[in-house]
Amino acid sequence: MKFLDHLEEWLIASLMGAATFIIFVAVVHRYLAGLPIPGLQDFLIQINTSWAQELCIYMFVWMAKFGAAYGVRTGIHVGVDVLINRMNPRWRDRFIVFGLAAGALFTGIVGTLGASFVWSIGHTDQTSADMEVPMWLVYLAVPLGSYLMCFRFLQVMVHFIKTGALPKHDHSHVEGLEDELTAEEKGAKA
Amino acid sequence: MNALIIFVLLLALMLTGMPISISLGLTVLTFLFTMTSVPIESVALKIFTGIEKFEIMAIPFFILAGNFLTHGGVARRMINFASSMVGHWHGGLALAGVMACALFAAVSGSSPATVVAIGSIILPAMVKQGYPRGFGAGVITTSGALGILIPPSIVMVMYSVSTNTSVGKLFMAGVIPGMMLAMLLGLTTWFLARKNNYPRMQKASWKERFVTFKKSAWGLLLIVIVMGGIYSGAFTPTEAAAMAAVYAFIIAVFVYKDLKIKQVGKVLLDSAAMSAMLLYIITNAVLFSFLMTSENIPQAMAEWITGKGLGVISFLLVVNVLLLLAGNVMEPSSIVLIMAPILFPVAIKLGIDPVHFGILIVVNMEVGMCHPPVGLNLYVASGITKMGISELTVAVMPWLLTMLAFLGLITYVPQISLWLPNLIYN
Repeated sequence: MKFLDHLEEWLIASLMGAATFIIFVAVVHRYLAGLPIPGLQDFLIQINTSWAQELCIYMFVWMAKFGAAYGVRTGIHVGVDVLINRMNPRWRDRFIVFGLAAGALFTGIVGTLGASFVWSIGHTDQTSADMEVPMWLVYLAVPLGSYLMCFRFLQVMVHFIKTGALPKHDHSHVEGLEDELTAEEKGAKA
Repeated sequence: MNALIIFVLLLALMLTGMPISISLGLTVLTFLFTMTSVPIESVALKIFTGIEKFEIMAIPFFILAGNFLTHGGVARRMINFASSMVGHWHGGLALAGVMACALFAAVSGSSPATVVAIGSIILPAMVKQGYPRGFGAGVITTSGALGILIPPSIVMVMYSVSTNTSVGKLFMAGVIPGMMLAMLLGLTTWFLARKNNYPRMQKASWKERFVTFKKSAWGLLLIVIVMGGIYSGAFTPTEAAAMAAVYAFIIAVFVYKDLKIKQVGKVLLDSAAMSAMLLYIITNAVLFSFLMTSENIPQAMAEWITGKGLGVISFLLVVNVLLLLAGNVMEPSSIVLIMAPILFPVAIKLGIDPVHFGILIVVNMEVGMCHPPVGLNLYVASGITKMGISELTVAVMPWLLTMLAFLGLITYVPQISLWLPNLIYN
């Protein structure tokens, strides 16, 4: 289980970094290839970076599907909780379980739809426009990601029923703020 | 009739507190399985292709860029620069708060993070100088919302994705309203401060101003890169966002040294999770608007509204009320993704400019974050000030009324939004 958690985190973080790097390189390449430096220009023009956009899109599609599953585990998906927060705790808990079950149901259905879709295009030779990778490989993210998300919803639900605790993401966390504030206190004392 | 069923179902599912993306998706599936002949395969295809647009990929890049610079150290630099510029006027530190919020929000792209970052540093300082607690809280809560109007803005990318409006034009259109609103909030602060004789700070010398400017300039240059890159045609908006992310990384790690290289992984992970959440809402919102279009709902609504003889003025009034109500329960991105595809065709039919309509929606979202009972900024501010929501509601009133007046202005004077983009793009 720990292994799966780490794999998930490692996958989405590196997809994020790699996609940024690829687009950066493609843009820099486009401009450098325009500079009239003998030798370098010829060399750069030979390198083709037209696949960069497509690769970036597919990387983000994978990141989105697995990131959404990670988000369930960390409680990043927000809903409208004004109404249920005003109910008495018993009903509130019931609605929370209902919401999580609905999440599992939806992602389960999407995963199954996705799997059959991938199965059907797996028997064709559809490839992507620029990189010419088989499309079923690209779209495999949907069933895999959705089933993982379904699993995460069930996991959170079981955990909630057992302990009554929900993962909650802090949307207003600011890195390094503590340091700034303690630095100020020290400065005031000195 | 179908429209009614769809909306009631969506509303009912949303009110159970499940994630908005899930309630959108389940509404679509329920409707498809029970009531329509749209083949399920076409839905499956939408699930795959919904986010396969390079334009949408600007969102993760902007989030990454913002996260690199969402740091206490950056907030401190912005505050120092702002207070050296405006600190000597009435209510100096509070004015500096408005300005620092505008700058930090534009760079970080997150309103709640702005309220926390600027608020945690500046509010204790204000109390120490003798300001009442509510005054500072009111300033920061409302100014923290400025970020989604000042480019680069993720909410604007969302609007552009769901209505096919140019991101470049929207960003340009946000510049003047953003600065105007910051100025109006500052003016409100100044008047109140002068009336109550709140403290002023010593006037900073030009040398101090230059030094603090130099320190904050590295962060602010991000806005210049994005806007300059898009405007000059050097980058597409998505490329500009990716360049901004790389730039923000270099500044945070090598220039400011706020971030250690081993913390970069954490920033990547957080940004990926945040982007994935938004992309997941987009995927499901695409499904939802696909369902709406295949049921002809936006067109039917457009005809119904024009048939009723509802003019531009009353339509925009209805839009404002509707969005302000929605702002109570949902965060900006979801509202834009759900409402824009429905309202947009009507707006176009009435001859409203798409860019103006976008700015109007964004300003609405800003107000929505600060007004009771459930503004996001209000909650975050309540967390850092330890003030109750009702107490805060009273505290934000002067600035909230300013924002509402500004919303009226933006709604009925399209030139404020359209002047700059028209000047540049025509």
